[in-house]
Amino acid sequence: MMDLGTVKERAGPREFSPADDLPREYREAATRMIEFHANSEIMGAYLERPFIRQSPSIDRKLAFSAKVQDEIGHGQLLYRAAESLGVKTREEMLDDLANGDGKFLNCFHYPLESWVEVPMISFFVDGAAMRRQATLRRTSWEPYAHAMDKVCFEEGFHVKHGEDILKELMTGSRKEQQMTQEAFEEWWPRIIQFFGPTDDKSTHHDFASSVGLKQQSNDDLRNAFLDQYIPKARKYGLEIPDEPRIRERDDGTYAVEEDDLDWDEFFTIAKNEYEPGLGQINGRKHAQEAVDWVRETIERDTPAASGHEPQAAD
Amino acid sequence: MIWEVFRQAKTGEYHTHCGNVHAPDREMAKQFAAIQHGRRKPTNSLWVVPREEIGEIGSDEVAFGGTTDKSYRWATAYNTTGTDAREVVESEDEQVTAEKQRGDD
Repeated sequence: MMDLGTVKERAGPREFSPADDLPREYREAATRMIEFHANSEIMGAYLERPFIRQSPSIDRKLAFSAKVQDEIGHGQLLYRAAESLGVKTREEMLDDLANGDGKFLNCFHYPLESWVEVPMISFFVDGAAMRRQATLRRTSWEPYAHAMDKVCFEEGFHVKHGEDILKELMTGSRKEQQMTQEAFEEWWPRIIQFFGPTDDKSTHHDFASSVGLKQQSNDDLRNAFLDQYIPKARKYGLEIPDEPRIRERDDGTYAVEEDDLDWDEFFTIAKNEYEPGLGQINGRKHAQEAVDWVRETIERDTPAASGHEPQAAD
Repeated sequence: MIWEVFRQAKTGEYHTHCGNVHAPDREMAKQFAAIQHGRRKPTNSLWVVPREEIGEIGSDEVAFGGTTDKSYRWATAYNTTGTDAREVVESEDEQVTAEKQRGDD
């Protein structure tokens, strides 16, 4: 088995594959990271799903249903990438997500109630996610990097469609603009928290970074996001809320006053103890149970191992 | 029996189909693949897969991507203002390339 020293020494982009015998610490850290990512894709899709029905036009409905379908696909890709580490099976990860042990992104623990909130997820949160995912194309676990290739390919449409919804709302009636601004104010701190706590408070960063799993620190990612998306928000006429205070440095990057953010709520969410988040978890669980019969029927009707004959292969 | 061969040029890249070999078993298939497909072109790894284990579905059986106008699924369908994040631009460029390739068929 490869020792941790060698892993750290070799840890370049796409360096390790299932052909490598990697130490438990690496495989567990990678599993935690990818499982979190996979769960987030699924929970994000469930959060947005009601808006397929609530879309204000046929164009939006088509695009939004394509998007939700994409996100479920991303979840499937990522469970495969996580499963290939040999720590947890896909079933174990899905069960954990259903029973409340599976962790996922803070933003997807909040209810999404109105169409004006939709671009908060599908433009800002997806934009933040895409920033992070672009860096993960250079992660050291090859199956994860390969999943990111496909995810990033598709995600450009999501972000631009989300931006288009924002544009439409912010060029709409005064009432629409006002409601969008209110939604923005509510979601803005959560969006900033997407990138997690500052580097010095991040529990897993150092190890994940030393073995090449994570490519950029929380602070760098947050800065890069703000740098890109503050001008975008302003361009559409959104006012950046006074809190959290954001200071523009001389070099054009931003520093967030971390104490202005609600970290109690963030860590309550991180433990899956936030009430609305539990509603999301259970909502998905019930949806899964409701269609159990479909999965069972498919499995029952599939001929054993799809006609696979091992003796012919070996 | 016939084994399909997939070659990966460098660590981290994709294994792509590069041909096939005749071999009586997996071990021999690996040896033949190494000689026939890993000798000249840059090779980091090869996969060998029994041909009968491969399932195929073709464009005569299914309309890949559907038959209706699905332009709403492309980033290029949306006009936004201001500079887009570079990863969004990158994604859009990849989509433009893919769309062009579809048109070539």
